[in-house]
Amino acid sequence: MCAGRIKTAHRGTGDIVAFSESAVRNNAAVVEYCRTSMSALSGSTAGILGLTGFLGFGFYVFAVFGLWCLILLKAGVRWEKYFTNRRSLLTNGFLGGLVTYILFWTFLYGMVHVY
Amino acid sequence: MGSTAAHKFIFIVGIASLLHAAYSAAQHRAYLRITEQEFLSLPIDILIQGIVSLFVTMYGIMTLAGEFKEIRSTVDLESKSWETFRNCPSFYTFNHRGRALSPYYEPPQD
Repeated sequence: MCAGRIKTAHRGTGDIVAFSESAVRNNAAVVEYCRTSMSALSGSTAGILGLTGFLGFGFYVFAVFGLWCLILLKAGVRWEKYFTNRRSLLTNGFLGGLVTYILFWTFLYGMVHVY
Repeated sequence: MGSTAAHKFIFIVGIASLLHAAYSAAQHRAYLRITEQEFLSLPIDILIQGIVSLFVTMYGIMTLAGEFKEIRSTVDLESKSWETFRNCPSFYTFNHRGRALSPYYEPPQD
């Protein structure tokens, strides 16, 4: 077939569903963009609020959950139209986002509270 | 969703509010330093402003990031006709026996 690649997956009920790979990749790119922005912004906020230690890491977990809720809000009630798995939206790229978060956290904390 | 101008405005307002919270926090820190008090926590209004502006900015970014596409491939194919779908330019053949039907066809002379 010339019209884009197609992946298939088995649903729990036993029937086969075909997914358009370009659409899956487009959705993953949008989510990745949001995740990077959320890491940078929540890191900045944590630095501005002057969080230190475990409170800052707790704020990151809070931010990740907030982003998950925002994505599901954007996808609407029928999120199955856009994503194959809801839980992987929450856990994908957790540690990569954490690195960005710590970078902005320490930077803004230094700018606002130390100097 | 539509109007991206409104969402850009939301995003800019959120960033400005976040920067204002940063400036307020720095001012509060300077005030504590001058009056020689111990830093315990920021005032609650700066905390609330920071968290609220974070989510406002995030909402703006989410709408600016783009729309989700439906991943079931049948939806993608439904809008296309069979002529569009089976059109594979790599497999075009021009050198076939159909040219013998042309009135200007000259059979090869051996």
